[in-house]
Amino acid sequence: MQWELETTGLTKRYGRLVANDAVDLRVAAGEVHAVMGENGAGKSTLMSMLYGLTRPDEGAILLRGQQVRLASSLDAIARGLGMVHQAFKLFEDLTVWENVVYGAEPRRFGFLDRRSACTRVQELAQRHHLAVDVRARVRDLSVGIRQRVEILKALYRDARILILDEPTAVLTPQERDGLFAIIRALRADGRTILFVTHKLHEVMELTDSVTVLRQGRVSARMRTAETDADAIIRAMTGRSVNLSVARSPATPGAEILRVEALRVPAPVRGAKPLVDDISLSLRAGEIVGIAGVAGNGQSELIEAITGLRAAEGRIHLNGQEISGRSVAARRAAGMAYVPEDRALTGTAAGARATEALLMGRQHDPAFARHGVQDGAAIAAHARDLIQAHDIRITSERTRVGTLSGGNLQKVVLARELDFDAPLLIAEQPTRGVDVGAIEAIHARLVAERDRGHGVLLVSAELSEILGLSDRILVIYEGRLIAELPGAEATEQHLGLLMAGRTQEVAR
Amino acid sequence: MHRLALLRPHPVLMAILTGLVFGALLLLLSGQNPLRAYAEMVRGALAPRNWNNTLVWAVPMIGMTLVAALPLRGGMVNLGGDGQLVIGGFVAAMAAIYLPLPGPLLAAVAILSAMLAAGLYAALAALGQTVLGIPMLISSLLLSYPAIGLTSWAAGFPLRDTATGLAQTLPVPEAARLPMLFGPVSTGVVLMALVAAVVVWADRRSVPGYELRMRGLNARFARYGGVPTARQTVTVMFLSGALAGLTGAIIVLGTHYRFINGALVSPGYTWSGLMAALLAGGEPLMAIAAGFFFAALQTGGFAMQREIQVPRVLSMVLQAIIILFVSLRNGRGAARKEDRS
Repeated sequence: MQWELETTGLTKRYGRLVANDAVDLRVAAGEVHAVMGENGAGKSTLMSMLYGLTRPDEGAILLRGQQVRLASSLDAIARGLGMVHQAFKLFEDLTVWENVVYGAEPRRFGFLDRRSACTRVQELAQRHHLAVDVRARVRDLSVGIRQRVEILKALYRDARILILDEPTAVLTPQERDGLFAIIRALRADGRTILFVTHKLHEVMELTDSVTVLRQGRVSARMRTAETDADAIIRAMTGRSVNLSVARSPATPGAEILRVEALRVPAPVRGAKPLVDDISLSLRAGEIVGIAGVAGNGQSELIEAITGLRAAEGRIHLNGQEISGRSVAARRAAGMAYVPEDRALTGTAAGARATEALLMGRQHDPAFARHGVQDGAAIAAHARDLIQAHDIRITSERTRVGTLSGGNLQKVVLARELDFDAPLLIAEQPTRGVDVGAIEAIHARLVAERDRGHGVLLVSAELSEILGLSDRILVIYEGRLIAELPGAEATEQHLGLLMAGRTQEVAR
Repeated sequence: MHRLALLRPHPVLMAILTGLVFGALLLLLSGQNPLRAYAEMVRGALAPRNWNNTLVWAVPMIGMTLVAALPLRGGMVNLGGDGQLVIGGFVAAMAAIYLPLPGPLLAAVAILSAMLAAGLYAALAALGQTVLGIPMLISSLLLSYPAIGLTSWAAGFPLRDTATGLAQTLPVPEAARLPMLFGPVSTGVVLMALVAAVVVWADRRSVPGYELRMRGLNARFARYGGVPTARQTVTVMFLSGALAGLTGAIIVLGTHYRFINGALVSPGYTWSGLMAALLAGGEPLMAIAAGFFFAALQTGGFAMQREIQVPRVLSMVLQAIIILFVSLRNGRGAARKEDRS
């Protein structure tokens, strides 16, 4: 059989790390092919080799049986490959059609032929059922629409094979359904889709076949119709994982956190506030989930509560008013915080594990006296946490920038749980973490609750919100637009609320 | 850790080697014998009879290297070293000349007031950033000019030593001068060594050192962990300025014995120090080593010019090429960093 896209023995090493080890990928023409794997399994490396961004050390890439050498992404595009990256690469200030034709503009007498460019993009969008206003400026478009613009860019360059790198990470459930419809239409049009993800249900719902990577190697290759979620998880992790968290009903106690009329003004004058008059309350012994599509003010809300961002309104923690106080004072009042971005906020890549695990407690008499650090105590503390949380690291002196996403998250979690604070704020605690680690993190959050601590959980992951929250608050465009008991919420219902469609829910 | 890093072909050593190769090519092009020029440089800097010259140059050089390295360790840049240096030198001279204090006390008070004045002046640049939102890169640099201008005017007009024809103040009294150790080397060397040791120790062992290092690695991480970054900015700039003030005081009380207009700024200690600090990425011990290396390069350059008439600007060329190659390495390193998730 001739494969549309095939790799044989593709290998890529970074120093001692083998990111891809003799990967054989076989993709048939006109199929939706999932590439799955935990974080660090080598998905991104494989995709960047296929798209010409990285040169393989060994092995070959074959397109319709012909071996090709891809020196750059331009080579890849010329051979009919298109890629939609996780972070979109669009010019915010240009219109949709300008973005689409950029770099391959139709010309007349050497000048950009605006009219024909615009019409061609319009026709292309219509033919593929991509509902996009081609004259709109990208900055005014939602994430879901921007993704369509990226797909249009690839189609405009006549991509026969489309690589989508974790395309659903930023979408609402409704937007995701829209994307799936587009992908199916593209398949019907005879195009081949390579779909990179680590979400199981999407693979089951959408794809024709699956290649699973584990530690840089292909650990399974299967037809989706002939397999099940359990088999894929085993291939990804080497064991089955319990995705639903067992937990007893909450027994909420005293109020831990009260937020009153919190407002974060917009950075530019006249724009609408990023956090708009939010009030909420959290009790000891409960998990309150804040559900929302990324970018609806949840990050700003948390930054305002933790003191990283200035805000108006009042915040009480553990009976003390903390509004206007420093981050250190808020932490001292009883706050632990697992931030959304462990690499940008939660750690420093160049810090040793000892240093990363000390942060927030550098003045603690257990670790410093009169401003002089107690190196032995700091190292012992780091070793304890590394062991207790099963952090895979060479030594406590290793720099944390070398750790995989899941292990880095364990570093952050270990440190923050060790504060033993009555309030734990957990922001996207399992984003980009592999399936095995998700289970452990969820169990830790529930354990925190059962110890009588309050947990404020922010997540864009519906299954996480639904699986953990005793109460759910929905945030949309900076406002809390709904509150519902965790037990009563459904994915469909929550999805509509997250898209701001409260009327349809009421009906 | 640093020992291990030195065992590998260190990129900084590679940069130095590249600089020497380029310098050799330049010398060849101008019809000189590079081996002879380098030999003169090495002899001029390191032959036992020349140690004194190197040390005299190294003390202010290392002082100004620490001035740059301290803020750099936390990801900040102090471009106002020149201004802080002249304020330190000027205040040290004024205190020594006009305060009615006895002997060693006079020197101590002169040094401390120089440090205080220069520190406060540097803290002003920090406040410009934390209170008014003026980037410190700009505020520190701009504050340099009025300091240089005002001290220059004071030394040239109201406070000028009319006995000489130059823009310089009266000499400082004998009692306030730093005692000499040997040759032209004053006890300023001891003072600077002590201060350097304290900086290295604080960087590695103290809580403020930890907080500053973490900020340098990731400022957002430091803020998240409760490091009061605004206060830290002001404190660090005060200390950085105080080091510049100390350097100015050591030059005035240990070498020139008066404030001479332009004499603190023209050797370019501030900028060579900034380069040395950049070379070391702000790590104090490496910065000190780099500062010492540049000082040796400079004194070696003087000797080379004296002995075989190769212009000493070659040292500046070498210094620039080395910095260029070190930053090239940094740039390529950043571009090579890839996402493997």
